[in-house]
Amino acid sequence: MSRPRIDPRAARASHLVSTAGALRPRLDLGRTGPVSPTGRPRRDPRREMAVSRVSSDGRPRFDRSHQGSFEGLAPSNKTVVSPAPAAPKLRIVAEPAFLVFAIMEAPGGRLTRFDRQLLGAAHRLVGSSGEGAVAAIAFSPIADLGTAGADRSLIVEADGASASGRARLLRGLVESFAPRHVLFAEEGESADLARRLSVSMGEPILTDVEHLGPRQAIRATKGRMAEEVGEPPRLMTLGEDRAAPYGGETCGARTLAFSEEAAPIESDDAILSDEFIPGDPARLTLSETDFVVSAGNGVTDFDHFRKLAAALKGTPGASRVVCDAGLMPREAQVGASGTVLAGDCYLALGIAGAPQHLQGIAACEHVIAVNTDLHAAMIERAGLSIIQDAQLVMPALLKLLEERGS
Amino acid sequence: MTPAAFLPYLILAMVVLAGLRLGQRVMLWRGGRAAHVDWMAGLKALPKRYLVDVHQVVDRDKSASRMHVPVAGGLVLASGLLVLGLVPALAASRLYWTLVTLAFLVMVAGVVLVARRRYPQPMARLSVGRWQRFPIYLAAFGLGGLVTAGLAAIGNPLPALSFVTLVIAAGGGLKLAFDAASGPIRHALAGATHLVAHPRPNRFDHDEAKGRSTGLQSIDLNAETLGAKTPSDFAWNRLLAFDACVQCGRCEAACPAFAAGQPLSPKHLIADLAAASSGGHHRPYGGHAYPNERPVAGEGGLHAKVISPDGMIHPDTIWSCTTCRACVEECPMMIEHVDAIVELRRFQTLELGAVPLKAEEPLSHYRGCDEPNGRALAERTDFAAGLRLPVLKPGERADVLLWLGQAAYDLRGQRTLRALIQCLQAAGVDYAVLGEDERDCGDLARRLGDEATFQRLARENIAALGSVTFNRILTADPHALHVLRNEYPAFGGTYDVVHHTAFLAEMVAAGQLTPQALSGRAITYHDPCYLGRYNGETEAPRALLDALGLERREMARSGKRSMCCGGGGGAPSADIPGDTRIPDIRMGQAKETGATTVAVACPQCTAMLEGVTGERPEVKDVAELLWEAVQASATAAPRDSRKAKELEPA
Amino acid sequence: MKTVVLVSGARHPVSRRPALTRLEAQAASLAAKLGGTVRGLHAGPSDDQLREALGHGLGEADWLEIEDRVDPVPALIDHLKAAAPDIVIAGRRGEGTGDTGLVPYALAEALDMPIIADVVGVSPGAGSGTVSIEQALKKGARRRLVVQLPVLVTIHPLAPPPSPFAFAAARRGTIRHERIEATGLPTAKPSPFVERPYRARPKMMRQAGAGQAGEKAVLVGPTPEEAAERILAFLEDNGIRRYSA
Repeated sequence: MSRPRIDPRAARASHLVSTAGALRPRLDLGRTGPVSPTGRPRRDPRREMAVSRVSSDGRPRFDRSHQGSFEGLAPSNKTVVSPAPAAPKLRIVAEPAFLVFAIMEAPGGRLTRFDRQLLGAAHRLVGSSGEGAVAAIAFSPIADLGTAGADRSLIVEADGASASGRARLLRGLVESFAPRHVLFAEEGESADLARRLSVSMGEPILTDVEHLGPRQAIRATKGRMAEEVGEPPRLMTLGEDRAAPYGGETCGARTLAFSEEAAPIESDDAILSDEFIPGDPARLTLSETDFVVSAGNGVTDFDHFRKLAAALKGTPGASRVVCDAGLMPREAQVGASGTVLAGDCYLALGIAGAPQHLQGIAACEHVIAVNTDLHAAMIERAGLSIIQDAQLVMPALLKLLEERGS
Repeated sequence: MTPAAFLPYLILAMVVLAGLRLGQRVMLWRGGRAAHVDWMAGLKALPKRYLVDVHQVVDRDKSASRMHVPVAGGLVLASGLLVLGLVPALAASRLYWTLVTLAFLVMVAGVVLVARRRYPQPMARLSVGRWQRFPIYLAAFGLGGLVTAGLAAIGNPLPALSFVTLVIAAGGGLKLAFDAASGPIRHALAGATHLVAHPRPNRFDHDEAKGRSTGLQSIDLNAETLGAKTPSDFAWNRLLAFDACVQCGRCEAACPAFAAGQPLSPKHLIADLAAASSGGHHRPYGGHAYPNERPVAGEGGLHAKVISPDGMIHPDTIWSCTTCRACVEECPMMIEHVDAIVELRRFQTLELGAVPLKAEEPLSHYRGCDEPNGRALAERTDFAAGLRLPVLKPGERADVLLWLGQAAYDLRGQRTLRALIQCLQAAGVDYAVLGEDERDCGDLARRLGDEATFQRLARENIAALGSVTFNRILTADPHALHVLRNEYPAFGGTYDVVHHTAFLAEMVAAGQLTPQALSGRAITYHDPCYLGRYNGETEAPRALLDALGLERREMARSGKRSMCCGGGGGAPSADIPGDTRIPDIRMGQAKETGATTVAVACPQCTAMLEGVTGERPEVKDVAELLWEAVQASATAAPRDSRKAKELEPA
Repeated sequence: MKTVVLVSGARHPVSRRPALTRLEAQAASLAAKLGGTVRGLHAGPSDDQLREALGHGLGEADWLEIEDRVDPVPALIDHLKAAAPDIVIAGRRGEGTGDTGLVPYALAEALDMPIIADVVGVSPGAGSGTVSIEQALKKGARRRLVVQLPVLVTIHPLAPPPSPFAFAAARRGTIRHERIEATGLPTAKPSPFVERPYRARPKMMRQAGAGQAGEKAVLVGPTPEEAAERILAFLEDNGIRRYSA
């Protein structure tokens, strides 16, 4: 019988909110949890459930894959919360004991979902102790690094550099800062860079990591027959959708100072010319594009629709009904039996949203629906819903785009 | 000498001319691959093949058989008699000339019947052009001969007129002879030779099971060229077969791809193949163009590529075929269209890898994991969770081996298989499956021309089947049935294969299953091509449906002349666009009967017909209907146990 | 021009039989279209994958037979040094052994060749000894590089689809077999990782509207102009496109 007893008065006192001028004491049971006599913070299962809940509509779905984020939910016994909504809290790591590099791609200066996941994973490696710091490394300026979870930011303007030039530059950075981990996205240029770095440093790399925790990293090997498990090494590439984005307090994103000599930008002798060709959305395939403008039953004027897709700089798509009727080519069909999209944004004009169609846009981050039926499934799915005839909205959009363009 | 006395010489001239012209054609045929032909047996069987087999087909169009007897008979008779006229004694006999006149009269009567099929308006499926002019030459020869011989019979009163009519007869006759190798008359000479040297002599053997003569023939995978690239890659008697085509268009009228507006017409294809060996069409083709015709150069040659936009036939044409054999069934000249198409596909697939983009996927899955949809073989029995489905291990035995086929992976097909398995349980059949050792039978690979994959699968399946003991193979998939029964024997696997409709009909007849009548429902039965036409099994499913007390209505095309659902031969994988879809057409025919249910007996047909959108009769497999009836009897018969039954969870 | 296509020891994801990956089939087809002498190269215990690559357009191939546990990189380096190809084409990530995608990089480092990743097109360059390479970037963008030979490229999935497998081509192609004894070759370094059977882990769910803080706007019956304004504002706010001049 050595369990310490709870002192109810002390517990009550810890809930007490400022009573100045109030007639009766006010308590906030949610803000500051009771301190157990052992001093260990207590879990609040209800809040954990609430946080892991993914969709608020219909059947509740829970995403329990990111246990780490609950650490921040645990009621802290150190802070006494003031009732006034203070300015957003800032996570400041003044003197980091170690650094974790996260290499950002951020095309066009915007963090992608994958970039945010990388920062989230880096935070798991850093832990919540406040010793280490996450440093976002990028080759062009990026907005919002702080909220996405970067304690430090290191922007080396090297947009023109070749891949091997970047690898050398990165090697210089790694050698001068000696980060504990360097995290890359297992995608595109980052994946390339990671391997170049690994080979040039002669250091092993764990690629396409599927599970990453502070003490364990797991990746598939031998054609998904086996998996490798071990302590996270220095160099790693993370698979897409394998870590939750950072969801804690805004971080400092202080600029990390570095000397140009440590990381010189060199050109590549073997590459004689280098020409960048921006993607033409109108000619991209649906699986490659980031923005699809799609037509369904509610669209009757397809010339208008094609013009609009071109003006919006989106790739034209269509529902199955439209493709079956031969109004749009078969390659344009979106949905389970057509193309499953990987893009960021989907503008659905006059599409009600059959289940197979919604499967095709499951991965789209932003959905805009224009439909006359308020109860269409697409409206449920969309972030912005316009209950209006698509045939009327299309010319208005075109007109507006013309005005903006001039 | 009277003008009539020249007639025998005219015939001789015609025979020589025709012989010379046909000789050129024979030289072309000799450019084909060697083939084993039993000439003696063929010659012996010729009259029966012509008078029975050919006649049965020709007689489906009465106007054809009626015109054919007098024209061909009259022509042969008159010519034969006239050759006798070389004997001087006969040439002087009036009686002889009377007989000749009568023969010509018969022929002329026939020509009138021929002309009536073409004038004033030709029947839609017939070719025009030189085919349209053909009756004119026949009439010139017939009428000329008739008048000349007739005048000779009455003592040659008008020599001048006789001379004129002789010239007309000579003109018509020599034109016919000249066209013997390229014109319509070729069908008679090449056709007769084709009947003798037919590449599938067993199709005339009515005692043998029908399926024996419908299975595809295997090729040697170590051969120089795999499949047919040029006309010379066909066996010589196949080239002969193409020449036998009479362009009657019956194949075209029966072809589901043609009806759906896909770029295939069996008639056009055979005409193209016949023309290809001699450098292309020298005159414009007289029939309907391929629907939505793809442009081709139209250049050919005995050693030139056939299938190419630069050749005679566009690739889309051969990939439109559903291998339903409706064209073969309707062909009065006994041409084997499907064999030719598969032979052409084999070259495309094996040598060039030029399969349609979407058809590459199942073939690559086949190579990777023995299953066209890329599913694991171990998952084949997953659907039967909760059903008793014993798996035979090597060395074990069962009475009936259930071949599940591709349907086991498909939600709809699984419903049918469930019904079948429950029927088997109810009937107390000792059945089992091969489980993981059952690979796909290879039907799709073979029809898509991938003979290498098919032969590998066949050998592996035969090895798996050889490791267990069973009496019969039971399958609900007519494609698997056909391949196992008729195409595996070439690789050393001979099995007693039974289709589930036949097996269940047996069970019902033997009283092992006692279905209750499902009255009040009108059904129509859609014959699967691979069961009906390929294997001649049209009665068992109907008997079974009748045993269920259903009101059975027949579609206009049923039994061996049924229309395809569009699901065979890899056509859905090739997915050549047309104007409509084949299953829509077939479903339209089913709707016309007023039936509320279409009974099917093939997972492909089920999938294709269920894919028809809009208001339509429901699609049910025969096994599902039977199980419904068996369940109905189980709940209705034992009245006492009824309450207890209701308490059971469904 | 001499081209070598690297073929890995991949297995079919369903049947686990040796099989060529789609990327390597694409690589083989791309190399075959490039012309010149094209050879496949594989170091591993079986030649099944090479045989399949022959069916996708390679005429000849070299098979360096090594044991399963031996690191293939040294054998490949020795072979490539002797063969001195102008272009080496590999899939972006081989399968079957480590699946790290490091082999092409290790080869490029050892052979002192530049490596270009995620390539969708290769064609002979204008100048002699050069090659024009098209590289796939995000959002459908492309980069066209003219590179001095020799060069090593890895193929991106958006490269032209592989030419379909042709049985006869696979049958006709020749494979030169060379057995490399394990002695003298360093075996693959012992990994600090524990290997265990693979367990599938679900990916994170992609949340609808993530990043827009659960904002969900429904406009009922706006004027078309108002609707258009809102749509453009939404697109610009979320950084999808910019429309102002």
